[in-house]
Amino acid sequence: MNAPTGLDFASIPERIQTEVQRAIQRSIKGVEYFSTSGPTLGSTPKDVLHSRGTMSLYHYRPMSDEIYRVPVLIVMATTNRGYILDLVPGQSFIEFLLKRGYDVYMLDWSAPRPEEKSLRMEDYVLDFIPDCVRRVQADSGETDVSVIGYCFGGVLSLLYGSIHKDGPMKNLICFTTPIDFREMKLFSNFSDRRYFDVDRLVDSVGNVPPEMILSSFEMLRPASRTVSQIQLWENIWNDEFVKSYRMFDRWATDTLPLAGEYFRTITKDLMWDNKLFNDTMSVGGRAAKLEDIKVPLLHAVAEHDHIVPYDAAKHLIAKVGSADKEEVMLKGGHVSLVAGANAVKRLWPKLDSWLGKRST
Amino acid sequence: MTDKTNDPVAMWQKMMGEMEKGFNSFANQAMSSPEFSQAVNRAGGVAAGAQKQLSELMEKYLVSMNLPSREQVTALAERLQSIEAQIGEMKSMLSQMAAGSGTAQGFDGTPRPPRTRRPLSDNGEQK
Repeated sequence: MNAPTGLDFASIPERIQTEVQRAIQRSIKGVEYFSTSGPTLGSTPKDVLHSRGTMSLYHYRPMSDEIYRVPVLIVMATTNRGYILDLVPGQSFIEFLLKRGYDVYMLDWSAPRPEEKSLRMEDYVLDFIPDCVRRVQADSGETDVSVIGYCFGGVLSLLYGSIHKDGPMKNLICFTTPIDFREMKLFSNFSDRRYFDVDRLVDSVGNVPPEMILSSFEMLRPASRTVSQIQLWENIWNDEFVKSYRMFDRWATDTLPLAGEYFRTITKDLMWDNKLFNDTMSVGGRAAKLEDIKVPLLHAVAEHDHIVPYDAAKHLIAKVGSADKEEVMLKGGHVSLVAGANAVKRLWPKLDSWLGKRST
Repeated sequence: MTDKTNDPVAMWQKMMGEMEKGFNSFANQAMSSPEFSQAVNRAGGVAAGAQKQLSELMEKYLVSMNLPSREQVTALAERLQSIEAQIGEMKSMLSQMAAGSGTAQGFDGTPRPPRTRRPLSDNGEQK
């Protein structure tokens, strides 16, 4: 029977019993949490096709009897590890693509060594990506290559595509890719040219430390880390919750340093002068204009993205020169758009239906 | 069934969610100011300077302890990487040679599937 307040007194003993059981489970699982290492991530079988300094090119072993003609090269963001796209079986974007018949390669990054502090934007756009594309062509025996760029990997793919306008990129897919850096309001304020001396920072530390990159991400939502730890404690009896928490927490804190010169260019050309948006960007003396991208393009953005707000990403479709282009906005945040339970239902099937017919 | 509006656990969770949103929003507003940027960058500049001095000091300490310097360890790592890269190139060449002889093979030696896949049509059949 419900009391006038709506409280169901009959359910109170049952509720107390559940909470007591959970409290006991919390103590047991809490000990277990600190004595185990969490799920193994990035375990889809792959071969290292090429490795050079900070750059690694992987080829994932096919999981289908028949594959699409056009191989797919994923370009990961330089701030984070690629295993976000290959978490665990059933929650792996890579595994999904393989099972749907794609031939998948990934350009992933490791921490640049101190002597790699001099890597410039040119090295990424005019050397690393073209080198990987050539190797994908040689390995697959195909001329055409589709490119998928996540976050800043999308920016690098756009720069590559705008400079290499005669190919061989056949399709371009960008996930949460910023082009209007003025609209990344907080990052813009952190790097305010009146107060942020990027030259002094890079000249002092060489590569920008991962702690600094991580802090700048966490400052966007300063309460969220504490709240998520409280939520972990509340739900520590729930194995699925804990598994998911550990996967994402491990990835989020596994931030990479950024090569100093590369960071200097990002700050000056993109954060300060917004050159990509203003069509004044050049890399190694070669103009990089979005209007020069003519290949079919899909841009997936997240409705609640706090890292790349929609305002920073929304002009991409209008600015590229492609006739075949589409923006899709999906529920979720910057990471849950591409990985986790929601991505399985939302982004991945959408991407498959878009890319499949353009991969033959 | 328990009414969510009176469930203490649900109320607690809702309150945490609201507090998180409120604090994040307040902090974001505060961090949008030029004063914040000035203060955080001043602190960051001092920390960067201190870090550089500390790493120089550590370098001298390692030398005095007759331990290998960073350069020496890095040189060794580079040689190893170069050997790894050459093995990778050889594997790649072998794979290409196999492909040239008519059998497309992966690194693990298994034949690669044919590139003949077509997308499924709306009724679930291959086009």
